[in-house]
Amino acid sequence: MSTQLPASISEETVDEISAERNEPDWLRRTRLDALAALEESEMPSVIETPGRRWTNLEDLDYESIVDPLDQRDETERISAEGAAVLDFETALEEHPELVEEHFGSVTDPQTNYLTALSTALFTTGTVIYVPEGVDAEDVKVRAEMNSTSLFSHTLVVAEDNASATILERISNGSEVDGDRYFSNLVEIVTGENAYVQYGSLQNLDEDVYDFTLKRGDANRYATIDWIEGNIGSRLTRSDIETELNGDSSETKIVGAFFGHDDQHFDINARVWHNAEHTTADLVTRGVLDDEARSVYEGVQDVGRDAWDTSSYQRENTLMLSDDSEADASPKLIIHNHDTEASHSATVGQVDAEDMFYMTSRAISENTARNMLVEGFFVPVLEEVEVDELREDIDDLIVARLD
Amino acid sequence: MSSEQDHLKETDTEERFDFKKDSKAAFAAEKGLTEETIHAISEDKDEPEWMLERRLRALKQFQEMPMPTDWPGQPDLSEVDVDEIVPYIRPDVDVRAGVDDWTELPDEIKDTFDKLGIPEAEKNALSGVGAQYESEVVYQNMQERWEEKGVIFCNMDQAVQEHEEIVREHFMTTCVPPSDNKFAALHGAVWSGGSFVYVPEDVTVEMPVQAYFRMNSEGMGQFEHTLIVAEEGSEVHYIEGCSAPKYSAINLHSGGVEVFVGEDAHVQYSTVQNWSKNTYNLNTKRALVEKNGRMEWISGSMGSKATMLYPSSILKGRGASDNHITIAFAGEGQNIDTGAKVYHNAPNTKSTIESKSISKDGGRTNYRGLVHIADGAEGSSTAVECDALMFDNESTSDTMPYMEINESTVDVAHEATVGKIGDEDVFYLQSRGLDDDDAKQMIVSGFIEPITEELPIEYAVELNRLVELEMEGSLG
Repeated sequence: MSTQLPASISEETVDEISAERNEPDWLRRTRLDALAALEESEMPSVIETPGRRWTNLEDLDYESIVDPLDQRDETERISAEGAAVLDFETALEEHPELVEEHFGSVTDPQTNYLTALSTALFTTGTVIYVPEGVDAEDVKVRAEMNSTSLFSHTLVVAEDNASATILERISNGSEVDGDRYFSNLVEIVTGENAYVQYGSLQNLDEDVYDFTLKRGDANRYATIDWIEGNIGSRLTRSDIETELNGDSSETKIVGAFFGHDDQHFDINARVWHNAEHTTADLVTRGVLDDEARSVYEGVQDVGRDAWDTSSYQRENTLMLSDDSEADASPKLIIHNHDTEASHSATVGQVDAEDMFYMTSRAISENTARNMLVEGFFVPVLEEVEVDELREDIDDLIVARLD
Repeated sequence: MSSEQDHLKETDTEERFDFKKDSKAAFAAEKGLTEETIHAISEDKDEPEWMLERRLRALKQFQEMPMPTDWPGQPDLSEVDVDEIVPYIRPDVDVRAGVDDWTELPDEIKDTFDKLGIPEAEKNALSGVGAQYESEVVYQNMQERWEEKGVIFCNMDQAVQEHEEIVREHFMTTCVPPSDNKFAALHGAVWSGGSFVYVPEDVTVEMPVQAYFRMNSEGMGQFEHTLIVAEEGSEVHYIEGCSAPKYSAINLHSGGVEVFVGEDAHVQYSTVQNWSKNTYNLNTKRALVEKNGRMEWISGSMGSKATMLYPSSILKGRGASDNHITIAFAGEGQNIDTGAKVYHNAPNTKSTIESKSISKDGGRTNYRGLVHIADGAEGSSTAVECDALMFDNESTSDTMPYMEINESTVDVAHEATVGKIGDEDVFYLQSRGLDDDDAKQMIVSGFIEPITEELPIEYAVELNRLVELEMEGSLG
């Protein structure tokens, strides 16, 4: 089904956003095309089993949570030597061709209703440009959302032999009452033999509905690693995807989430093996407490020409309460037989024997449980190259446990 | 090896399954599906009014329900046109409920089942045999010693007449209501034949009972219904075999299986299906399992153009358990979409699912599973394991398990692997003097062994033989 266009949005709205930011005509047209596509667009597909739709994105009241002409954010960007880490307006001035060439090249703005909405309305975002051979470590983008809705777009271009580790954080700044909406599209373009680790940490408050779609296009010998931490928000729909389009490209998708109260996480990790000798490793760990629920889908799609593929997926959920709910659907779609692929998923509780062992060593039950939950995330945290991201995720997990 | 095993092994399986008969029908319904057809079928069977009403209600549901078309990666059902299917054919047999003496069967039917090896199996290994030809059961026999204990094994139409109370209570009411899905509704409207098994309290039927279904006519639909009621503390193993020859028009098989597993009862349901490659196999199979009951599904899906089949168990009593073992083989032009569903609706329930699939020559296999653990099903555990073996690059294999977990004190594990047939394994076997085909055959046999070892020997032999023929590409 498609959802109505919120009444607060029209071509004039989009023109106003575009004009205010003095944007080139191609971008204004891209926005208007996305706006026009809204009428016909579908919501992102969600897991359905007979009689049940697991996440109801169409039930959100976009009318009240989208206020396109009042988008405010406070974003701090920390660059690395040799790289450019710029807000969109500056990037359009300094690297107009680069932005025009790559914007929307990895993720079609009209992929679904929410991507089209985001493209039509985004006012903030970052362009990260790492020229050939440059090694950009510890690029940081720390964003605060200060309005009812905020639409953001991130474009990363890593040229041949370039490498980058990037941390992106989103949280709330000043208090705004009521339900809110945050949307972010991330695109990563890689040259040959480029390496990008893109870590993000979402710690929005629990009145925020959050939609993100992150997608990377991995060129020959390139590696795209994603780290995805989700702690906050009322409802998060997060898609993290890599297309392994170049021979011998690799990707790792690492996810961690921790839900409490009535938080809802719909996490999707997808990888397409479209070339030879490609490797993917998908690892997600989540903890659910109170009435929180998670929906996880992981897709490993091996194309007909993807000879010599290796593809692995693991998803583990730990449930701390009886009222929580975890749904998982790891999928393997295999069109080439020269493939080694596996996936596994588990759902369980804190191991009773481990608890017994620790409490018998005079550790209080609460402390023991917290230690075990912290320990549960270790395999995920070990993958994080940016210290600040790892420490932040860990701190937030510890804070949630207290 | 017994002479019977020898017989089964030596018989050319292709010849066994893939012959056609000019068949004479005593009554054949018109193509297509109307209220008149339903009245005609029901009248021809001399059914009680309530059954006719259930059929008509199911027909209405069928007409109202849309075709399932939007499942990710599902088989294409656009060719399935119920208006082109003959829903009911009664073969020309004198005794309406089937004969119990093999020699009384008309020659062409007897010959069919002889070729399938049914009489030998009955003599040597089974408690009873039923054989269905087109829409009706033509032969039914049960060893006396089981009958004395109150075990009932008869065809479903007969059960409606002779065991009306049990059937009325259980038939498409709580287990598989016609509203379950479009093809269950179709089945509810036009069902015919099938098996009825009733095992009284605390009776253990030590030898399997078997039914064999044969679809012989071109462009027909077969809709047999199997109802198994195992009372408290009882035990039974039911085996079903199916086949149909090749025709150019499509056949539709849309059976219904309902199993009631009482407290502490144990039911094993095994099937090896080898439909011809023009058959759409769209079945609904479900078990309701009471406290400490145990249900085991063992199935081999070999033939058909497309299969959509997900045997399911509803574990409704504390301590109930379920065990699924399935194997699917898809060769050229085949799309086998199968899996298992388990609902854990009570505490301390357990399930295991072991699924193996092989795809070859452009065949497509899909594991589509669902494990649901309801709120309150504490202490439940489930383990799902799917392994897929692919032969070549034209083939496709997908795994789509769904897990819905609403309870924290549970233990859920899913694992799936996909791999090509190991070059090293083939090389190793070749270096021991086997040729390429034999080596691959041996690897496949080893791959499916967890399934075959659960089957009675004649079915294991048959399954292996069928796999062999598939590998040679000589079936279908």
